[in-house]
Amino acid sequence: MASQSKSPKRFAALDSLLQGLKRSRGSLLVLAVLILFPFVFARITGTSVNEGPAKYWQGQFIAVFIMAIFAMSYDLLLGYTGILTFGHAAFFGGGAYTMALFLTHVAPRFVKTYRVSLPGGLDVTEPSAFLLAILLVVVVSLVLGLLFSIVSVRVKGVYFAIITLAMAEAIHILSKATDFVKWTGADEGLHGVPVPAWINPTQYRLRFYFIALAFAVVMYWLARRIVNSPTGRIFVALRENESRARMIGYNPALYRTIAFVVSALIAGLAGALFSVWTVSATPSMTSAVTTVNALIMTILGGMGTLVGPMLGAAVLEFFGQFLYQWFGARWPLVFGIIFIVLVMFLPYGIVGTWRLRSAQWKRRWSLRKQRAAAQE
Amino acid sequence: MRVKAIWQYGKVYIILLIGLIILSVIGWRAMGQQSFVRTALSGLTLGALYFMVAAGLTIIFGLMDVLNFAHGAMFMIGAYAGWQFYTNPTFLFGLAPLVLALVAGIVVTPLIQPLAMRWAVPARWQRTLRAVVIVVAVILIIVALLGLDVRGLAKTAMVATMVDPLAEATPQEPLAVFWKRPLLFFLAGLLIALAQARPGDRTQVIRSGAAPRAIVALVGFVLLTVAATLTRESGAISVLKMNADARFFLSLAAGALIGAGIGAAIEISLVRPLYVRPTFLILATMGLSFVLRELTQLLWDPLPYAMSRPPLFSQPGKAASILEWFSKHTLTVEIMGVTFPSYRLFIIALGLAMFILLMLVMNYSRLGMTIRAGVQDRDMVEALGINVRRVFTLVFALGAGLAALGGIGAAPFAPVEPVMGDRFQMQGFITVVIGGMGSYSGAAIGALLLGLARAFGDFLALKFSLTPAVSEASTVIIMALVLLLRPAGLFGKKE
Repeated sequence: MASQSKSPKRFAALDSLLQGLKRSRGSLLVLAVLILFPFVFARITGTSVNEGPAKYWQGQFIAVFIMAIFAMSYDLLLGYTGILTFGHAAFFGGGAYTMALFLTHVAPRFVKTYRVSLPGGLDVTEPSAFLLAILLVVVVSLVLGLLFSIVSVRVKGVYFAIITLAMAEAIHILSKATDFVKWTGADEGLHGVPVPAWINPTQYRLRFYFIALAFAVVMYWLARRIVNSPTGRIFVALRENESRARMIGYNPALYRTIAFVVSALIAGLAGALFSVWTVSATPSMTSAVTTVNALIMTILGGMGTLVGPMLGAAVLEFFGQFLYQWFGARWPLVFGIIFIVLVMFLPYGIVGTWRLRSAQWKRRWSLRKQRAAAQE
Repeated sequence: MRVKAIWQYGKVYIILLIGLIILSVIGWRAMGQQSFVRTALSGLTLGALYFMVAAGLTIIFGLMDVLNFAHGAMFMIGAYAGWQFYTNPTFLFGLAPLVLALVAGIVVTPLIQPLAMRWAVPARWQRTLRAVVIVVAVILIIVALLGLDVRGLAKTAMVATMVDPLAEATPQEPLAVFWKRPLLFFLAGLLIALAQARPGDRTQVIRSGAAPRAIVALVGFVLLTVAATLTRESGAISVLKMNADARFFLSLAAGALIGAGIGAAIEISLVRPLYVRPTFLILATMGLSFVLRELTQLLWDPLPYAMSRPPLFSQPGKAASILEWFSKHTLTVEIMGVTFPSYRLFIIALGLAMFILLMLVMNYSRLGMTIRAGVQDRDMVEALGINVRRVFTLVFALGAGLAALGGIGAAPFAPVEPVMGDRFQMQGFITVVIGGMGSYSGAAIGALLLGLARAFGDFLALKFSLTPAVSEASTVIIMALVLLLRPAGLFGKKE
């Protein structure tokens, strides 16, 4: 602090930047590791970046990035605003279906009929179709989020959980209804979605890896900004004591709607990316299991931390595979038991418990130091 | 003045009644008598089933603010238990001694409590000690189950043909091998009792009179365990020898009892420690429903099974009226020009009987009085010296028992499969939200509305050549409408 006051004024901006970098050095380190990972891993295994185990593990990480963002969007609601929703799969699946439906049914026609070119004569028809799809995903997510909010924003707690569950279930039923088999493929879902060639996850795995990573970073940054903004503080206030927040003059319904819509938007984008990654959209993406997955990642990592759910997603995706190999078909049973044990005995998750414990240790440490100083 | 009071008190009923009458007149005109009556009766059947799920949910929520996500699992377990009992009770008789032995161990808690609480266990180790004891108990249970072919026992009923029930009677493990298992379960129960006695925690209050009761319970359960161990085979055979109708009604009772027992166990083990953290309570019950569903899938495979209808509802032919059915027991009954399966009428009757029973219990029994008082003001009830904990356990057991009873009632009508619980639970939730949390009459009316809506919705969907999935999804719209008009549900208390 002393050096800051002494330093000339023109270095203030640089100084604050350095301070910010220092504060987030942990996340930057993780980011650096993740950026270097494909190359280092390929070097270690002695294969090219775009084949063999390197490619496989890139794929694993891509899935983790996407699920991490999905879990993080859930944490915005559960951890920060204190809303227990069971309808998050509707947004994820909604985004996935919007993307897949657009790419399957609309984009080919769009490319055939229209020509979009930049002033320089560069043909950008396909990228603009993809951009249109993303825009559509944003719109659909916003509409879905608003729709859910309108019905459920006046109720609280358990009612909220039930209503969101019921609405998501309705969307799930519709997603596998045979009435729309022509478009959605009903139970089968959409497979082999014609994603643009330049983003094809099998062909350009490394590129997709960085796209997913960039997406995760941007979304995390966005969520962090929201959480640290005054609006985010009001979310927390609503979680802690709603009547007091209302008394101070904040409209709980409004802020809950904002939280819900933002979370729906992030989840929808994650779903859209997931559908590009798997080149499919299936009814399982809209099912309650998807919501429960996000929930478990959030609880496992620690709710109300943003980082926790991402860590939870990583743990679940990686360890889930090993556990699946060990237990085979009985894996869901073991999974459920682990979930109950987590809920009962580790309610703050990995990150939450870590923070709690490290604070305790720090306090104990400083007490011991003080005592030692007093004795001298 | 009088009219105004009636309007004030019952405006929801009046509006609903008028709405239903108008809708039914329109429906009658548009659909014709035949299809209208058939659809309405199907709706009533569905409504009865929904009510059986929703009744327990709403009472449990009203009293203890617990949204039980494992309620659908109770429904499913009831269906499986009833189906097992009816087709081949080998599985139930084979496991009964183990469960009884465990309970016999657990009931000694009041006996060891005065001793255990005096142990010099430092305060910071008490929690760990309890956890260790429970883990040892779980390990004991796993050891006790090693080598026991639980899946084999479970599979016995799946191949049952109802031609000669006795042919299905399967031998159990011989006593010479089996005897250790109940013993180990008893030891595990004792350990759980030890953990429940909270060793070292001197702040506990010892209730006088608990110890003698515990002795009676211990002796009773030990005797029951011995009896159940000895009658593992003969009991199953004597059940199979029974008249099929009697067996059916016995399976209703057995399933409801099993459901209630499991409900009580859930409340004590899983729900009680989490009352202070409501969100986690929901999550825990959700995890439990997951586990129970996977467990049934493990035991009975994820296939749907059809439980055969008892002879009371399956004699060939058609009764001209309900009265004639009482002498003929035919498969179908003619009502107002419509041929309708008699078993579905039985489901409607079962739902009605349950509603009346619940009404009697809630209005004229001590338990019901406590529950109603607890819904109004839980703290006050506690202050008046009523053991609310025990009431909670009882209510949880009651709700689970009702759901299980509904499950068995549904078993001969809907396929018995692991996902049946989730499906009915969803509808139960919607019912409860429509009717208003905590009101069992609200649940009844909500179930009626939802059942009718589903039946007529399916009819309409077929008419417009859509699938029933659309009408299933559209029930959510009804819920949304009700919530927009009355956020607390039709009969819920306002906040």
